[in-house]
Amino acid sequence: MLPDDIAEIDATVRGVLRDVLGLSEERVAAFRSETPLFGALPELDSMAVAGMLTELEERLGILIEDDEVDGEMLESFGALVRFAATKANQ
Amino acid sequence: MIDHYDWPGGREAMLRFGPATGPVVIAAMPLFEEANRSRAFMVSILRALAERGIASVLPDLPGTGESLIETEDAILTDWTTAFSSLTDMLSAERPAVHGLALRGGALVDVTARLATRWQFAPASGDVLVRDLLRTRLAGGEKSPAGEAFEFSGPPVELAGNRIGRALLAQLQAAEPAARPPLRVVRLDSDPLPADRKLAGTPLWRRSEPGNDPALAALLADDIAGWIAPCAG
Repeated sequence: MLPDDIAEIDATVRGVLRDVLGLSEERVAAFRSETPLFGALPELDSMAVAGMLTELEERLGILIEDDEVDGEMLESFGALVRFAATKANQ
Repeated sequence: MIDHYDWPGGREAMLRFGPATGPVVIAAMPLFEEANRSRAFMVSILRALAERGIASVLPDLPGTGESLIETEDAILTDWTTAFSSLTDMLSAERPAVHGLALRGGALVDVTARLATRWQFAPASGDVLVRDLLRTRLAGGEKSPAGEAFEFSGPPVELAGNRIGRALLAQLQAAEPAARPPLRVVRLDSDPLPADRKLAGTPLWRRSEPGNDPALAALLADDIAGWIAPCAG
């Protein structure tokens, strides 16, 4: 995968978190790879996880199966970007 | 103004906006939870249309809003039939009846005899059903891997709504109305093809309902420009 693609997926994941969780541009811009997500962001409840996954699917043109959703991919911003990049690359 | 319309299965409420004469736009709301999140936004669009001298109606569908039909008893053909009946009723009183659909609303006006269709972020039924079924994860109910959802049986509770499985089965196969004249507008974050893309937030995803009056005004301008050549 080209660095450009990774940068685009990174930006898409940031945009989805901003739009679905109603976070400010500054807040999502400050996310680093190790920034914890599920359990650390009060806005990211389990209902919001469902909406976030659907929005990621629509924006990246991917399909995420329920059994692929686990705590690990939601642990940190970096983990979520890596998951999205793997799916987009399939 | 609150009004009613009749369809073969009963009578439903609707809100009227704008002038009592001239062409009218029928608004089809997104489905289920997406509707709750977009209602203020839809009303902003319809008020903006009224400011531009264009009338509109926002109907309840069978099993939604004030309807006497239980949500879990509604099926997609009730919605398409009711929408068609309303279109025919308005066609008798107005020079032209146009469709305006948000998201899953584009699945509801498919059989209506509309002069034109205008859709914002139309969604196919399988995407909506997929999203609804995923909300089961939110209830802590881990769906067994690889096990298909059963489309027959008793109603299922999804994201706070009890929904009939027959409705889900019909939605699963439903596609947005594609009959011309048709104009499709999407958000610029949406990779699917569109006649126009605009910057904005998918309000139907927000866990807290929101509104975007500036985007509503832009969309109202777009709709007004779209139906103007057809205005009677």
